[in-house]
Amino acid sequence: MSLEYLKQKRILLVDDEQELLNLVVSILNEDGFWNIQTAKTAKEAIAISETYHPELAILDVMLPDGSGFGLMERLKSNSDYPVLFLTACGEDGDKFRGFGLGADDYMVKPFLPKELLFRIHAILRRSYKEENPLVRLSGSEIDFDRAEVVKNGEHLSLTAKEYEILSVLYRNAGRIVTIDALCEAAWGDNPFGYENSLMAHIRRIREKIEGNPSHPVSLITVKGLGYKLIVEGR
Amino acid sequence: MKSIPKLIRHFIATMLLSSVLILILNFTLLALFLSSQMPNSHPWQTADEVAGHLLWSESGYSLPENTALELKNSDIWAILIDDKTMQVVWKTDNLPGTVPTSYSASDIAGLTRGYIDDYPTFTGKAEAGLVVLGFPKDSFWKHMWPSWDYHLIAGLPNTILSVLAVNIALIFLIYVYTNSRLLRSVTPIVSGIQSLPTAQSIHIKEKGLLSELAVSINKTSEILQSQSRQLRKKETARANWIAGVSHDIRTPLSMVMGYAGQLESDRRIPEDGRIKAAVIVNQSGRIRNLVNDLNLASKLEYNMQPLHPEKQNLVAIVRQVVVDFINMDIDNRHPIEWTTDESLTVCIAEIDKDLIKRAVGNLIQNCMNHNEQGCHIFVRVMAEKQNCMVVVADDGVGISEEQIEKLNHSPHYMVCDENTWNQRHGLGLLIVRQIAAAHGGTAQIGRSPSGGFSVRIILPMPI
Repeated sequence: MSLEYLKQKRILLVDDEQELLNLVVSILNEDGFWNIQTAKTAKEAIAISETYHPELAILDVMLPDGSGFGLMERLKSNSDYPVLFLTACGEDGDKFRGFGLGADDYMVKPFLPKELLFRIHAILRRSYKEENPLVRLSGSEIDFDRAEVVKNGEHLSLTAKEYEILSVLYRNAGRIVTIDALCEAAWGDNPFGYENSLMAHIRRIREKIEGNPSHPVSLITVKGLGYKLIVEGR
Repeated sequence: MKSIPKLIRHFIATMLLSSVLILILNFTLLALFLSSQMPNSHPWQTADEVAGHLLWSESGYSLPENTALELKNSDIWAILIDDKTMQVVWKTDNLPGTVPTSYSASDIAGLTRGYIDDYPTFTGKAEAGLVVLGFPKDSFWKHMWPSWDYHLIAGLPNTILSVLAVNIALIFLIYVYTNSRLLRSVTPIVSGIQSLPTAQSIHIKEKGLLSELAVSINKTSEILQSQSRQLRKKETARANWIAGVSHDIRTPLSMVMGYAGQLESDRRIPEDGRIKAAVIVNQSGRIRNLVNDLNLASKLEYNMQPLHPEKQNLVAIVRQVVVDFINMDIDNRHPIEWTTDESLTVCIAEIDKDLIKRAVGNLIQNCMNHNEQGCHIFVRVMAEKQNCMVVVADDGVGISEEQIEKLNHSPHYMVCDENTWNQRHGLGLLIVRQIAAAHGGTAQIGRSPSGGFSVRIILPMPI
């Protein structure tokens, strides 16, 4: 699977510290992102966004001429694109939940380059998934656009629940997703007692995507914890 | 307010006891007084004795020497009135001149009942006449009309009893009235003093019998309030200071971590350089954790961390923490095993999700920090009686009994007001304890079956 199309995304980076801007730009460049604009104030950011049309904004919460929350509202009123907050306030998690401002994610400083990149990738994949090509697995391919699996030239369509479960697993490809997170994705909040239904759905998904469903290699069980989707080429 | 009925009981008991004591005292004094009057109470007897001792001889009537002397010493005069002639036929030498020498029947009746010329007189029957003794003036007070209605005397015991009862009732009412006034002014004072330790603001009306006490209590309450405000202000300032420092350290630390992280994975740099960068990354990570912990610990300690408890599935929350760690632990030096019973899929507790995640995360991180060479970590959720439990254990270097004792019982330096250089252990466990306590639970430190470290967080299930 190729992530190259994500690396083309226009990223707007706003922070009042030049050193931090340099650092984040350097991290993004090293990972292959090259289309980046930086701003040190909210005013500058708004001006840039009008001509640059960013597809992802990474914002500091405290800016010299206002708060990052206000800036996000201004930016999103023009065009809706994902926003990641980078904040030095340890308690901002509360604020985000409390205000329901519609930020896509937030990170508390300091952070490791790989943590930042993981979040950016996750947001971009989630926001621009319609551009996804086929997802290549060891024994099949998933076409999320058509909600179907292609195995040995055969087209197998996915049910709504199977699609939800696979989407979450794909967004976290290579990482364990808990039973609870999968149930929540398929059945909504507080999904108690769906563990057996989930197992049934997983079995059916395996029948569609695995070369040998009895010995799964793409959709792996992590006992007691959850499942992991192994995507080729990642 | 259990003390008020007790006070009333005490008052009534004292009152009854004092009434009874007063009665006993009165009767005793009366009896003593009367008994001291006894020797004087037989003038009629004296008159009879004199009449008996009076002798008739040729030369007339005479008294024996000693009786005559007795009468004389007591300043008593005597006459004998003849039955037939109604004339005085004998008299003592000290007879005053104003006493008549002849009597009519009505005179006799008068002197028997009362006085002759203000001398109280008493009579005794002699052989041929009536002996009359005249006692000194003012020595006796005679009943002139000594007759009582029959029913009055017959009903006397009842009358006395009812008068007594009315008296007691009256005393009781007076007592209750005065005491209730006292109680009315005592009650607010008692309740004021009782609420002083609750740190509430108190204001008692400053009037009534005990107004001075009320003023003192109000003053005390004010002082306590202002002291707690001062303390709160200091605590807030301290927590804010810690929050400020930890905020300011985050941006520079981002630079250190970010560039060191880049160098660590830069293939152009020789391996020993990358190893050094990795050390910087690890140590910055430790500073980051310390800053986070310090901030949270101070907020929890000073009750400035807002708690958002909701009914949540503890199994799901702990599972997420474990999975996050597994997803991050790339070199797999600290494999985490999920040992929760497969049958336990739900354990509901009233919890703040973020704080519980933090506590469990701290425990897992703790196992990793203390076992650099690597170890297995076991995480388990259990439901037992009315509690949800999380156990995080490892098979690493472990801890001695002495250290367990220390960790379980001595205060952390952050919440200790003494100089305790020997207790400089990390904030991780303190936070776990604080979070458990904020949820009404506890955290216990012990040893795992494999000899490693083990911590058990016990949280009450909602009722």
